[in-house]
Amino acid sequence: MKLAPVDYIVLLVYFAFVLGIGWRLRKGVSSSGDFLLAGRSVPVWITSLAFIAANLGAQELIGMSASGAKYGIMTAHFYWIGAIPAILFMGIFMMPFYYGSKARSVPEYLKMRYDEKTRAYNAFSFAVMTIFSSGISMMVLGKLLQLVLGWDFSTSVLASAAIVLAYTLLGGLTSAIYNEVLQFLLIVAGFSPLAILAVSKAGGWQGIQTRLASPVMTHAWTYMGSAKDNPMGVEIFGMVFGLGFVLSFGYWCTNFLVVQRAMAAKSMSAARRTPLIGAFPKMFIPFIIIIPGIAALALAKMNIGYAIPMDASGVPDYNQVITTLMAKFYPAGMLGVGLTGLMASFMSGMAGNVSAFNTIWTYDIYQSYIRKNAPDRHYLNVGRVTTVVGVVLSIGAAYIAQHYNNIMDLLQLVFGFVNAPLFATFLLGMFWKRSTGHGAFSGLVTGTVAASLTWCLTVAEGKGGILGTVHEFPSAMAQSFWIAIMAFTSCLVVTFVVSLLTEKRPEKELEGLVYGLTKMPSDAGVVWYERPWPLAIAVSAILIVLNIWFA
Amino acid sequence: MMDLRVPSGWFFTVLGLILLGMGVFAPETRAALTEANVNLYAGAVMLAFGIFMLLLARRASTSKS
Repeated sequence: MKLAPVDYIVLLVYFAFVLGIGWRLRKGVSSSGDFLLAGRSVPVWITSLAFIAANLGAQELIGMSASGAKYGIMTAHFYWIGAIPAILFMGIFMMPFYYGSKARSVPEYLKMRYDEKTRAYNAFSFAVMTIFSSGISMMVLGKLLQLVLGWDFSTSVLASAAIVLAYTLLGGLTSAIYNEVLQFLLIVAGFSPLAILAVSKAGGWQGIQTRLASPVMTHAWTYMGSAKDNPMGVEIFGMVFGLGFVLSFGYWCTNFLVVQRAMAAKSMSAARRTPLIGAFPKMFIPFIIIIPGIAALALAKMNIGYAIPMDASGVPDYNQVITTLMAKFYPAGMLGVGLTGLMASFMSGMAGNVSAFNTIWTYDIYQSYIRKNAPDRHYLNVGRVTTVVGVVLSIGAAYIAQHYNNIMDLLQLVFGFVNAPLFATFLLGMFWKRSTGHGAFSGLVTGTVAASLTWCLTVAEGKGGILGTVHEFPSAMAQSFWIAIMAFTSCLVVTFVVSLLTEKRPEKELEGLVYGLTKMPSDAGVVWYERPWPLAIAVSAILIVLNIWFA
Repeated sequence: MMDLRVPSGWFFTVLGLILLGMGVFAPETRAALTEANVNLYAGAVMLAFGIFMLLLARRASTSKS
């Protein structure tokens, strides 16, 4: 693919605007709270779009369009069943505790609700994880640009990291969030024409259905009765309980990267509405990311000069689907917008990771364990230095990921083990006042152990089973769903039992942290579209229609 | 605090003008698999969106002052 001068102009205009936004916001930063928490003053439409955009990194974008070509419309479950219910739950039931407790981060909430060790466990694992996921995302982008445009890996990685560093350093979390909104709009502008052009070329959704020999690619639910019948190799229980409940609630309700966006809102009401409003665009992202992947399959059968890209050994390389489609459907000019959209997705993901890492490091690790009672000015400086360190570490992680693929696979596996039980800990913490710190900690450790044991005792696609084979899964995805289910269940049970055996905390200490001891915010007298419940019902109605439509 | 609608409005106005310019003055720039003048249509939509954002921001700032 070759770029014209106009494409580079579009890219430069984009760089100028993100840096300009950072520059304009630099004056608003005078305390560590401004830098790390955005001063809790961001308007709700901005936090809502940032809430969605921080999760929409390059790895996600490229990976989901690739899965569209590989698994078909079933991939949309990662957005529908695998995100929306959790997002609604978080806005309605969990935000009152996060925002109302005045905790500055998710680990800090754990410290208030449980104890120091539970916080430390969460803070350290989260800090390491954010660095590696931003590194992996950087690596994915660098590799793709190298492959598609022939850009040098180091140049594109270093240049894009430098820009993210510049604007997050200038304006802190506010700058990261404001730019995420611009990036989100640009992703939509850069990708939706592709969806329209590719689908209409393939003869619309009807045309795609008739061109694909098998109907499994265009139905989200019909072929999920048995794992054998669908390309994902997942059965309905694993999908609904594993992805839709454990994994999705674990991510959307406890991951500080997304929760931080809602916590930056200017009022409790705005914080609760952030995920709910964000759910509207979230439901439609599959149309611009997954559908082009499916359309690519149909186009490849039409003999019009489009073929699914292959790697050197002749295996389909679905990661290139979106860029090869752009090359065929976008003229110079629009092509620049499309590629800039891809860059924007990378930057929003990376800035999200870096700003979350910042806050966790400064408040939950540095201020808690290294230097406790310094003046605020000191923590502001620590936050700034941490931004630089975080970006440098991510670049390091990107190079490790590029050279040692296996280490990265292993790390992602381990993070999966650590994350899987988390939601059980929060669920009991927020809704059962009897649960204790010892209970939570032992539950988390048991959950992580249970997750690793499940992996060690089961096999899928030749992976796992290092301690023997008790069960064989039809796909790695099914395996990961079941690992999550085992981790969640064991964490829930152990936290429950150990909590009953250990001393309970006085109720007075738990005010504002647990359901039943917290005054739930009242929304009487507010117009309906600013109230959480009507918003949630509207989202659910659309979600149900979408699922029936594509069933 | 800065109103984000201003920079994002300007961003899409500039982007829209660039693409619209391409669509009008270089209409023969086409992609391999489509006959449509993609730059023209996409540029027009982006320009309209950009101006809309700017108008919203302007209305908000005049009603405040």
